[in-house]
Amino acid sequence: MSMTRSLAWRLFKHEARRGELSIILFAIVLSVASVLSLSLFSERLQGALTERSAEFIAADRQLSSRKPIAQEWLLQAQALDLNVAQQTATRSMAFANDALQLIDLRAVNENYPLKGSIKVSDSLFATGSATPSVPSANEAWVDSRLFQVLDIEIGDDIEIGDAVFTVTQILAEIPDAGFSVFNTDPMVLINADALPQANVTGAGSRVNYKAYFTGSTGALDEYYNALKGKLNRQTHRWLSVEDDESAIGESVARAEQFFLLASLLAIVLACVAIGVAAQRYAQRHFDPVAIMKTLGASTSTIRKVYLYQITFIAVLGILLGTVIGFILQQIVVSALSGTVDVSLQIWYWRPLLIAIFTGSVCALLFCLYPLLGLFSVPPLRVLRRDMAATLRTRGGQYLTSGLAIFGLMYAYSQNLKVSVILFVSGLVLVGLLLLATFGLIALGRVLGKGRMSAAQLAWARIRRRALDNSVQLISFALTLMLLLTVLVMRNDIVQQWKDQLPAGTANYFMINVTDAQKDELQAHFAANSVQSDKLFPVTRGRFAKINDEVLRSELTKEDEDNTAERRSGMGREANLTWDLELQNANEIVAGEWHGAWTPQTSTLPDGVYPVSLEERVAQRMRIQMGDILTFNIGSEEVRTQVTSLRTVNWQTMQPNFFFVLHPAAMTQFTPTYITSFYLPEERKPELTQLVRPFANVTLFDVDARINQIRSIIEQVSAAIEFILVLVLVAGSLVLVAQVQASMDERQRELAILRTLGAKGSLIRRSVIYEFLIIGSVAGFMAALANEVSLFLLQSQVFQMSTQIHVEYWLIAPLTGAVVVGLLGAWSCRQLLQLNTTTLLRKML
Amino acid sequence: MIKTNNIIKTVSTSEGQLQILQPISFTVAAGESVAIIGASGSGKSTLLGLLAGLDTVSSGEIFLDEQPLHNMDEEERAALRGAKVGFIFQSFMLVPSLTALENIMLPAEITGLANPKQAAQEVLEKVGLGHRGEHYPNQLSGGEQQRVAIARAFITKPKILFADEPTGNLDAENSKNVEELLFALNAEQGTTLVLVTHDNELAQKCQRQLTMTAGELVEISAHSEEASA
Repeated sequence: MSMTRSLAWRLFKHEARRGELSIILFAIVLSVASVLSLSLFSERLQGALTERSAEFIAADRQLSSRKPIAQEWLLQAQALDLNVAQQTATRSMAFANDALQLIDLRAVNENYPLKGSIKVSDSLFATGSATPSVPSANEAWVDSRLFQVLDIEIGDDIEIGDAVFTVTQILAEIPDAGFSVFNTDPMVLINADALPQANVTGAGSRVNYKAYFTGSTGALDEYYNALKGKLNRQTHRWLSVEDDESAIGESVARAEQFFLLASLLAIVLACVAIGVAAQRYAQRHFDPVAIMKTLGASTSTIRKVYLYQITFIAVLGILLGTVIGFILQQIVVSALSGTVDVSLQIWYWRPLLIAIFTGSVCALLFCLYPLLGLFSVPPLRVLRRDMAATLRTRGGQYLTSGLAIFGLMYAYSQNLKVSVILFVSGLVLVGLLLLATFGLIALGRVLGKGRMSAAQLAWARIRRRALDNSVQLISFALTLMLLLTVLVMRNDIVQQWKDQLPAGTANYFMINVTDAQKDELQAHFAANSVQSDKLFPVTRGRFAKINDEVLRSELTKEDEDNTAERRSGMGREANLTWDLELQNANEIVAGEWHGAWTPQTSTLPDGVYPVSLEERVAQRMRIQMGDILTFNIGSEEVRTQVTSLRTVNWQTMQPNFFFVLHPAAMTQFTPTYITSFYLPEERKPELTQLVRPFANVTLFDVDARINQIRSIIEQVSAAIEFILVLVLVAGSLVLVAQVQASMDERQRELAILRTLGAKGSLIRRSVIYEFLIIGSVAGFMAALANEVSLFLLQSQVFQMSTQIHVEYWLIAPLTGAVVVGLLGAWSCRQLLQLNTTTLLRKML
Repeated sequence: MIKTNNIIKTVSTSEGQLQILQPISFTVAAGESVAIIGASGSGKSTLLGLLAGLDTVSSGEIFLDEQPLHNMDEEERAALRGAKVGFIFQSFMLVPSLTALENIMLPAEITGLANPKQAAQEVLEKVGLGHRGEHYPNQLSGGEQQRVAIARAFITKPKILFADEPTGNLDAENSKNVEELLFALNAEQGTTLVLVTHDNELAQKCQRQLTMTAGELVEISAHSEEASA
């Protein structure tokens, strides 16, 4: 072993044993462990959640087409080792017992579904259990509602088109059933082989063909790339799990963003911890370097000795961090095993590589500048102890550190927006803090005059160590800000999820309630102690014209869409409602709500009524404010003008409408009504009884869907709690590292103050005051910066509604003062107990 | 062994250039022991720093074993120090994270001596601390730490030894022990000794005494040959 390496190794060994390296080592361990555990855990959780959301499209990818999908396309997929399944869906009529009903017919082949499962039940409207099979050629699996409408039982025959099927199962659920209250006819599942004999997909019928694919991401991407050129926007739609715009898709996307954010913050915190620890490490090595130089060591020898040391520390830190991070993640996953189905079988390499990369980059980049300073320590320091490193400017260090942090953030997130938002808020905070520090110094100058009290001593100390304190203040505030951001994000995300589906959310929808039944239904429900919601009038209208442009058939709606959200056009059939009140979770973003409009005061052209349009539909159909929309309802024509645009929260389980007209437009039409109600689990057996008097009314059960969403939200919330704890631990450690870093200086000051006769209680109080002041200022600054970064994150990244968090403006300074005060007092407790002689000896 | 020629040291202050050493010229012969005495702030440590090549002169010439220190860069001066110079400091200047033995080995390793461990153990025995080799500096008393520092200074058998207040942090008894050890090893190895002190008694043990006052070498002992103020 070369001299430098052996010397480095000896220094490393002894220093590690004596605890000299513990902080820097700990910081590296922390960075690697938190990044590894967070990213490993989130990768696993994402895997589990993605798998879960894949169930909602019944595959990893789905191709939906209005024309039959070419056989060669499917063969091409099989050639790429993809699993393929197919479904053909159409509307048709089912006949039985002299009754007929429009049905949503789904013909599937035996591979369907590739993800998730078909569920069948033993009794009507019951939660089903998964079955691995599909109906055989002459079987039909039928929705509970059809049993009611056609008055059939298991074993009965039903006619669909030219074929007769035997009803063999109550169909409870298929994975990609989708969720749309309107046009939801009872579903009937048959075998794809039986479809030709039913003869229901001939000319004039609207058919949707779906092909499902699963396989490796690489193969799926390759397939999509090969197929892309052949797809026609009007005919085809390619769906992947990430495209899921349902409540679940949004939840998963938001959770992923949150994990990303938390991991990013963990990296930043770790970098700060390493930077702080490295600075202290370098300072503590000024003497050894000066001694070695005095004894004849060249700068290159010293450089090698310390670079070897950093390498040893980094390697040890990365190894320990990997093991600890893995154990930590394992503990979290085991603790969550009851709620989150996270597989431990798969080992993800990406998090490990990221963690090692992060550890190395953090260790090298954040140690480098303090080390460069260390190399420049002059040998003359052995005689003149005040001579330290000749660092030309601290600007270089800040620039390097800033760029390194930004680089890591971007490398990790691959998301420029998130990185820029966090980084810029950090910079704003640093700027604010520098200003605040100068303010403090000025204030301290005024307060620090006169006889020494503990508080004045604290101010005097803050003033004296202005630069060190500003660095300390900045790092406290940054840490508090990052912790606040994660905490508030977590609260807001979880709260918004909970608000979306509060307890008692309607779990059944009723459509086709007639005008005559309206009052009777409400009375009947009230008598049965079931609270039904508002009844919304609905009339089907044909969307005929936008201004003078007659709508073309291309805009025809694809009926089998999973969510109303994704329609490429509204189509000619539209559900129109009318109301004077703006519905909950609707917000006017342009124009004015027509509640106050009257025909007498109207400024609209004659015979034209106001209509409020959902904003995204307006965008998709290129409809502007003021456009005249014409609907044909029966033989009548209704002309409307767009007087407002609304955003609608589609994630709420309530009836939502694209078009809301002014009631005056619709006086001559007899609507049907839609309403919803909540029936608790234990009262479900009463359901049939409850709706029996209203045979014509269609009942739509969304309980299963709500429960699915709720369980995913609960799982993700639980995971977020754990991540919050991890980030909190990381943040606290930075605070400890920062306090530790100022220990040498404090030791010197204490020795001097003690020697000069200051009482122990005075010194103790002054130290605590100092930390309280710094903590509360840091807390306040953190609350300010937090507000900025939250606003940007929530509005730009998480697509959430934003709000001011006034409570944190009080909580943050208080928490900052308490936490930093306690940490400071705890870290200094040993120092405060030392007697003067020991303190003086330690200074030598 | 040491020759200075009109060396001047100026430093920059907020009020402009300040000359902290007036032109100084003197010579120290090989094997000679010289004490530089003076009050605090008189410039004696500055002079020591220049003579040892720890600092650079503002003008003038310094020759150390005939090598022109004033023309050398930091790296060359470091190499010269490693090869020819030993140091003892008032605050011992041991590396806290190395054991006594490893501290002594340090200069031997830096200069590439063979068997540094064995050599360190031998010199540690000489200073009477053979049994304390595995102890860290903070586990040793002040006197013991200074003896380790002396052992470290002598391990490379330097031609010149610079000592800056070697007994300044020690009590009377330890001071005496350290002085005896220092002069004994100095005599044994025939080292040239330049010692900075404000302790007249210690200074008297040297062959010559130079006195610094306000950056000037104003007085030299009776038996000096050439020195000027």
